Amino acid sequence: MSWTIFAPAFLTAAVEWVEAFTIVLAVSLTIGWRAALGAAATALGTLAALTAATGGVLQLGVGIEWMQFLIGVFLLLFGVRWLAKAIARRAGLKALRDEDEEFATTQARLSSGDGRAAWLIAYKGVLLEGLEVWLVVVALSIGGAGWVSSVSGALAALVMVALAGAYLRSPLSRVPENTIKFGVGAMIVSFGTFWSLEAIGGPDIWPMADWSLIGLVAFYVIGGLVLSTALRPRILRGVAT
Amino acid sequence: MKAFLTTLFGDLRNCRVVAALLASEAAMVHSGLTSEAAFAVPLLTLAGIFWLARPIR
Repeated sequence: MSWTIFAPAFLTAAVEWVEAFTIVLAVSLTIGWRAALGAAATALGTLAALTAATGGVLQLGVGIEWMQFLIGVFLLLFGVRWLAKAIARRAGLKALRDEDEEFATTQARLSSGDGRAAWLIAYKGVLLEGLEVWLVVVALSIGGAGWVSSVSGALAALVMVALAGAYLRSPLSRVPENTIKFGVGAMIVSFGTFWSLEAIGGPDIWPMADWSLIGLVAFYVIGGLVLSTALRPRILRGVAT
Repeated sequence: MKAFLTTLFGDLRNCRVVAALLASEAAMVHSGLTSEAAFAVPLLTLAGIFWLARPIR
């Protein structure tokens, strides 16, 4: 088990599962727990099939540099978005995501719909949130080496969120989502930068080889904090004028 | 379908940033600036993140 792979997979998955749980909880109040959990289980089954299929492709011996490039691009697409949003939220440019509000919005949408529509909302919600987990699980499993660690991280997060949700029976709004997204965003961008450049420039492009990843994470965390501070006075100036 | 594509790729601004980063990586590597690329690419990525995080005017 590699903890350096388990940790980012666990944290990313935890954030996404909280969002998915909020949607399932809202749907369950309309169509009942059994139907809502059925929709969630169907979506999780789709994701499991997707993960197994991708894992099979990874084991087929597709050129590692091509896999690195493809996964690196997806991680950059995913990571820059997460980190930019987390920085904007830290700077006060964007409202913090509120799971209570998400819960209320989903419930309001459901009140005018039928049971089938509610089932589809739970299915789509879990599938779309889970797709981001799938991306990270696949990316961290590159070459097949970290497969067990990344899948374990995502599953451990799922169990933790399901247990916490069942116990608390609330949308888990106390989870410090933006802080987690900030840290995970920095990690994901680091992996994306590392793999995309290594795929284009060859294995010797990073001066400290794999250790460069630690430097990249530190760089993006510090850079992100500086950017969120730099962006903050802009709105204050905007308010004053 | 739109929600699926947005989940995978983000919006157009997001795609532009990543496309520009990949183009910069390829340009630096092909012009022989491989040792500089390891330092320039993270800086360019952070600049792209800044562009995405700032408010749209």
